[in-house]
Amino acid sequence: MSFAAAPSLAERSWAGAFGLALRLVMLLALVLIVIQSAVVVHARPQDLITGVYGMADIVRRATPPDFAKIDLVWWPALETVDIAVFGTLGGVVLALPLAIIAAANVTPSRYFYYAARGVIGFARAVPDLVWALFFVTAVGLGPFPGALALSVHSIGMLGRLFAETIEHMDMAPIDALSLTGARRVQVFTHGVIPSILPSLAGISLYRLDENIRSSLVLGFVGAGGIGFELFSAMSLFQYRLVSLYLIVTFVIVIAAERLSALIRARLA
Amino acid sequence: MLRVCRLAMRYPNGKLALADFNLTVAAGELVVVLGGNGSGKTTLLRCITRMLRPSEGEIWLGEVNLAPLSGERLRQARLSLAMIWQHASLVGRRSVLANVATGALGRHRGLWTALGGLPAAERRAAYGHLDEVGLAALAGQRAATLSGGQAQRVAIARALAQRPQVLLADEPVASLDPEAAGDIMRLLRHLAHDDNLAVLCVLHQVELAYTYADRVVGIRDGRIAFDLPSCELPREAVRRLYLSEAA
Repeated sequence: MSFAAAPSLAERSWAGAFGLALRLVMLLALVLIVIQSAVVVHARPQDLITGVYGMADIVRRATPPDFAKIDLVWWPALETVDIAVFGTLGGVVLALPLAIIAAANVTPSRYFYYAARGVIGFARAVPDLVWALFFVTAVGLGPFPGALALSVHSIGMLGRLFAETIEHMDMAPIDALSLTGARRVQVFTHGVIPSILPSLAGISLYRLDENIRSSLVLGFVGAGGIGFELFSAMSLFQYRLVSLYLIVTFVIVIAAERLSALIRARLA
Repeated sequence: MLRVCRLAMRYPNGKLALADFNLTVAAGELVVVLGGNGSGKTTLLRCITRMLRPSEGEIWLGEVNLAPLSGERLRQARLSLAMIWQHASLVGRRSVLANVATGALGRHRGLWTALGGLPAAERRAAYGHLDEVGLAALAGQRAATLSGGQAQRVAIARALAQRPQVLLADEPVASLDPEAAGDIMRLLRHLAHDDNLAVLCVLHQVELAYTYADRVVGIRDGRIAFDLPSCELPREAVRRLYLSEAA
């Protein structure tokens, strides 16, 4: 048996000094990054202090929430949820075939693979707010452009996650099924889909949860739902109505988050 | 019946995995293949199933030569060739019965099976195959909940659902305890002798080969070292088979 020679005292002190210098350089780099970001965003902490009065004034004018107008909230709330549901379902339906083509282990051809990856990447790279502006211009104001925007953006997010799920699945049952003489489509519906279904459902539910939050923001550019009403109320300085919308928004987001987590836990 | 004639397989990196390989497995016969790691056993099975395209030679399954086939004709030919893997390779989230019935999918076409459905007749037949391997009571259970030995028996039932003429097994008892391994080997021998299947089984357990095989084929460096009835196989020949690996 042989042992590696232990480093000498001089070697250890050099290594220690080098480690310390490296840490100092990294700390300095971190400080520089923080300073440059503060400069670029024109950070003015003093404005936060003077702005406290303005914020306190808005909070005062927004309380108590105007519960007498609760009837105005139901329809936009339903619209918000349905924009997300439509957007997620549309995204799932369009993302699944793209993901199959974009998964390296089951793709029918390398050319289709790169094409599908390109479509997925583009749908993901363009923010949902930009898609909403595009569809508002194309089909007009209302919840429909919001739902379309979420569908297209979800293709990007879901397509990538679905493809990764397919790529990481255990291929042994799939190979075994192929060798029984089953057709390609049968291998897919009897082998691939049952193997990954819980993961796909979990990802889709998580996406629904995200889309509900996104659908609130899309309303600000005219794509319907509570966001649209919230923006209108703010523009008209109806702050008590704004606080009512915010409370309903909070309830919807928390309820969707809990429900999604509950179902995902059952699927796991 | 399975007949392999002058089979050769050279990998793209230049390694010759099989050379001038000739083998016949008759219906009703259980043939065990022994050999060290890297000797070419798994390559042989992969060539026979046509997961690999052999460089040379013929693979006759009855009257059909699998070697030049591809596409739909290969799929059709594979219907009479079933394979059991070292790990059962079941779809864990589906029921045991559904896993068995999927062995019959290749005989069916149409929307119902394309959409994930299984014909009622195949479900009934699958129950019969499960009964044959002694697991009918577990038909409704999820495949993921089975023990290694049970899963391997379900894989055999799935192979039976295929109604094959030839059954290939790649180290089917490698991950099983001795009792479960004995069960699987008895089942394979029963399928060969009583159901008249041609069974070709790759093993590492020499004693199982002596106990259950009708014939034992030894592979060394991609070539046949011996091909003898198990009752005539000298221990020294088997010892030499593995010695070459150590050297």
